[in-house]
Amino acid sequence: MSSSTHHITSDKILLAVAGSLFLLTLLTAGVHFLELPQPWSIIAAMTIAVMKGSLVAMFFMGLYWDKRFNSMLLIASLAFFGLLVGYSLLDTLFRRIVIPGF
Amino acid sequence: MANHSTATSHADFVQHHFVDAEQQFDSAKMGMWIFLVTEILFFGGLFATYTVFRVMHPDLFAEASKELDVLWGTVNTLVLIGSSLTVAMAIKSAQLNQTRNVAINLCITIVLAFIFLMIKYFNWMHHFSLGIYPGTAYSFTGIDNPHASIFFSLYYLMTGLHGIHVIVGIGIMTWLLVKTLKGEFNSEYYTPLEIGGLYWHLVDIIWIFLYPLFYLIH
Repeated sequence: MSSSTHHITSDKILLAVAGSLFLLTLLTAGVHFLELPQPWSIIAAMTIAVMKGSLVAMFFMGLYWDKRFNSMLLIASLAFFGLLVGYSLLDTLFRRIVIPGF
Repeated sequence: MANHSTATSHADFVQHHFVDAEQQFDSAKMGMWIFLVTEILFFGGLFATYTVFRVMHPDLFAEASKELDVLWGTVNTLVLIGSSLTVAMAIKSAQLNQTRNVAINLCITIVLAFIFLMIKYFNWMHHFSLGIYPGTAYSFTGIDNPHASIFFSLYYLMTGLHGIHVIVGIGIMTWLLVKTLKGEFNSEYYTPLEIGGLYWHLVDIIWIFLYPLFYLIH
């Protein structure tokens, strides 16, 4: 019944993760000024964003030490988001332009 | 405490429909993750809208993005990351029975959240002064594209919804701060801090994606 089974994240890890997030933020801003051609620009930006989000989810939110089920919940939500975007694009990407300029 | 059988002893905070404190804590955390799933899909609808319109009008998005100040967007990102750090520190402090540190870290989190909102406010005011309003009120003439208001409507909708979540987060953090100062949290029981922290980290993650999608389009 004690909380001794709860993982306590050390200051070292918290500060290391925060430092990494700071650096990745500056990196993504720097990459922006490189003005890479599309699609590399968006691929680079989203890759860095996913890395940052993963760091927050795994270490600040504690998923790294948590029950696997909670991680599965997160991954499931992303899968359904993928379905939402994917199916929407399957429609909009292949429309014939009936109204010019829309 | 009401008349109560001592056949199975348990701490005051453990409710009777739970086997023990551990199961109660795990249930609370799982319940919060399920709520976060709904939040992800909630914002997901707007992110999907953004994706569809950006694929339809890539040049517009690139040009309109130049109206957003990368410096302040970057500062806001760093501010929110800092606030996530202090929330995580607050929870760690509660786990170690350091009540004063919990309060200090929650205070810093609230201050950083206010700084974020302040910067957002000045950003929006600047855009309003240029005639960049959402929807049909749009009157900016600096972008040569009849669909320019699409980008900015999405910008106001998504950063606005995110901003509402930050305001709610400030309310939650303040409520947690009050409970902390009353001495309600310790290494045995800090569940509200844990799940309030999870909410705040998600707000941070959403901004981590909003920032490149609006500020860093080339």
